[in-house]
Amino acid sequence: MTLLADASRAAAAAEAASVAGRAPRRPISPERIAAGLTLLALVVLGILAVNEVGISIPAMIQSWGNAENFMARVGGLTFPDPGDLAWLIALTVGLVLVGTLLAAVLSVPIAYLAASNTTPGNGWRAAARFVGVLTRALPDVVLAMAFVLMFSLGTLPGILAIGIHSIGMISKMFADAIEQIDEGPRLAIRAAGGSKMQEFASGILPQVLPSWVATVLHRNDINLRGSVVLGYVGVAGLGLEMSYAFKALNYGKGLGIALVIFILCVVMEIVSSMVRGAMLGQQKHTRSWIDRIIHPRLGDRASDAGSTSPAWAASPQAAVRRPWTAERVRNTVGVVIAVLVVIGSVIVSQINWMDFFTFWAKLPEVAAKFWPPSFGSYDASAMFAAMRDTVAIALAATVLTLLPSLILGSLAASNVAPNSGARGVARFLLVGIRGIPELILAIVLVVITGLGAQAGVIALAIGGIGLLGKLIADSFEEVDRGPERALRAVGATRLQTYTSATVPQGMQALIGHSFYMLDTNIRAATILGIVGGGGVGYYLLNASQGSRYETVTAIVLMILATVLIVEGLAMWMRKVFR
Amino acid sequence: MNPASDALIRLDGVTKTFGSTTALKNASLQVSRGEIVVLLGLSGSGKSTLLRHLDGLEVPTSGDIEVLGAKVPTLKGKALRRLRSRVGFIFQQFELVPSLTVLENVLTGSLSEVSGPRLGLWGYSKAAKLRALGHLDRVGLLDRAYQRSDTLSGGQQQRVAIARALMQKPDILLADEPVASLDPESSDQVMALIREIAADEGLTVVCSLHQVDLAISWADRIVGLRHGEVVLDTPTSDLTKAEVMEIYGRVATTTAEITAVQAELIEIAADVAIESGGTGDPEVDSEGATASAELDRARVS
Repeated sequence: MTLLADASRAAAAAEAASVAGRAPRRPISPERIAAGLTLLALVVLGILAVNEVGISIPAMIQSWGNAENFMARVGGLTFPDPGDLAWLIALTVGLVLVGTLLAAVLSVPIAYLAASNTTPGNGWRAAARFVGVLTRALPDVVLAMAFVLMFSLGTLPGILAIGIHSIGMISKMFADAIEQIDEGPRLAIRAAGGSKMQEFASGILPQVLPSWVATVLHRNDINLRGSVVLGYVGVAGLGLEMSYAFKALNYGKGLGIALVIFILCVVMEIVSSMVRGAMLGQQKHTRSWIDRIIHPRLGDRASDAGSTSPAWAASPQAAVRRPWTAERVRNTVGVVIAVLVVIGSVIVSQINWMDFFTFWAKLPEVAAKFWPPSFGSYDASAMFAAMRDTVAIALAATVLTLLPSLILGSLAASNVAPNSGARGVARFLLVGIRGIPELILAIVLVVITGLGAQAGVIALAIGGIGLLGKLIADSFEEVDRGPERALRAVGATRLQTYTSATVPQGMQALIGHSFYMLDTNIRAATILGIVGGGGVGYYLLNASQGSRYETVTAIVLMILATVLIVEGLAMWMRKVFR
Repeated sequence: MNPASDALIRLDGVTKTFGSTTALKNASLQVSRGEIVVLLGLSGSGKSTLLRHLDGLEVPTSGDIEVLGAKVPTLKGKALRRLRSRVGFIFQQFELVPSLTVLENVLTGSLSEVSGPRLGLWGYSKAAKLRALGHLDRVGLLDRAYQRSDTLSGGQQQRVAIARALMQKPDILLADEPVASLDPESSDQVMALIREIAADEGLTVVCSLHQVDLAISWADRIVGLRHGEVVLDTPTSDLTKAEVMEIYGRVATTTAEITAVQAELIEIAADVAIESGGTGDPEVDSEGATASAELDRARVS
């Protein structure tokens, strides 16, 4: 008996050996190795940067005294009059919304040209991508500084700055959504004789619309937080009031407004995630209590379309009028509210339309001030060192962000979270973190840790968790559930399912998002320099306040080049790790 | 009358290569008005590629294609869209726009009649809506008109896709594995519906299938494809399943193909055995044995 078993085991071993002999060797692609090494090098550089910045918990505890001194000086929080406050809130939200919508409208043609499956040619695609990268690389603060020169003070510079800068992210996400569609319905419309425009309107748009709306809402949240910085360069709204207060050393009022902005950001975040949830509701598989509030009828829809056919379906003539089902009522109400909000925003932002005519006259004069680029009185090597500092801050912040984001983001994904409670807590934390405008975080941190890179790194790292964690959660929720079910059927544990089915499918998105984070952080690190977070931003603010616009151009070009390099790396990584 | 002059579809020596793989090799085929032709072959035999050429969705590497009197590979822009509007296409995966209502999906079949894009139901005329609802009524789904199309079952979605194709008022209906994603009952419903509509409207139908019994019960003529080559072209009337399987056996060359055919053969043998009140053991059944022998011969050659 044992002899027989031994024999069969030996036979099996022999067969296994021969299989190993026959199996093809795993192909080793040099490009993959190079990309892997680059990734590793970036992480190592990031860790070195964290070291260099010298973030130490004891030092922070020591400087806690500074914070206490500061709070003592603040006294109590004060707020503007309720009437003024309401007006400022409406103005801020209104101008951010109009700016974001402007960007969304401009992004549609750019995304169409940039998406690989809709672009008319590679030349168009490259041009559209370049517009996207360029607008993304130009910080909105810099744009606002330029527009404030061209337009009267008010909301228009802010709207245009947001509108142009946001094209970068929105057009990219729009294009990604187009690339991810199911090509079948579009092919069916082509097979029925539809034109390109009809293919887009009937085959592509309905598929991408939920994701596009989610993108716009997401960007709107980011822009609302960014509007604080715009106040520092003269764009009307809460940010401007706050900067006045801080300049007048009225810390109580400044922090009061900061608190208002924080609450506003969190509320906006919650509203937009509810709208997103309602729009994506039909595709949801899980139902949290929030889902139940937003679309209570989701569950019984399948059953109410039962066997007895409704009266309107008696004949085609009777069916021509669409019945007012609860779903249709809800959708119509939603659309009406959205239209009213947009109209209200345009009215509230009090756009000075005349500016559009006077603008052209001023354009050559203003443009001349920004050209030719020159470092002026600054030493070029000092500028490059400052840029290096900014990149180091961004790298350090990105590396610090990664692990907490992965943990929180995974827990916030409905297909990974062990239970809805953990998911709720993770989502809540992400929303809370995201709600804090980085600028306010940085101001507070500058007070605690003193001027320098440390404040910037910590502010960016904390703020990054909110963004990266959310992106990770979303892409994990988007993975194909089939492999997860298959592994669970095999008897894998939750963690095994996560590492073998969820993460491999989300890996490409994860790398993409991390590079997006790095890219965001480089620009944000620049802006944080404005409040004393270290790096090139400090020089940028100085140059613009000293009206040395040609130096502004030179610094912006330097930032642009850096961001383009990161973007190129990211594209390469996505190509290799697909 | 010369049958060739009545051909609505004419392929002449069509070859299509994708990189290094050859999807179609010197394929020639003629289909006359009102004919119902089934393209039979295993997956990867070039059935879908052939169908897509007829609608101008692929351009041949070489060879001529004439559909409804137009040379398809030379068509561009408006002329190509006009041809496509006269040719209905049914897909294996239905290819409805999931987030649109059933009615809107049917209406997209009329896009070639209007110029410019359409957003939402209000973009279409009342006459078009009435026509679309009529087609929905015909496929038995009028009461689902305002539901999202992804809330329907597979069989229902394919019926919506048929209504969409009818919306084009087609002369020719192409169907690419229309029931491969459906359960047997829905398959029968969908095939019966296509057959019925084809008879009523006098449509010419070219349909690709991989199930032999469906093909026999359904087609006027069967065209067998293997590795992009037409290896069989015969009327169905005088064919039995075993005969087709014999040919199918010859069609198969790779191990995977032979395994697939063998599985079918055992099934037939079992069917025949049960019908003839036999033991159900395929070994003792003569027809199955003949077919198996045929298969063995195929393997040797």
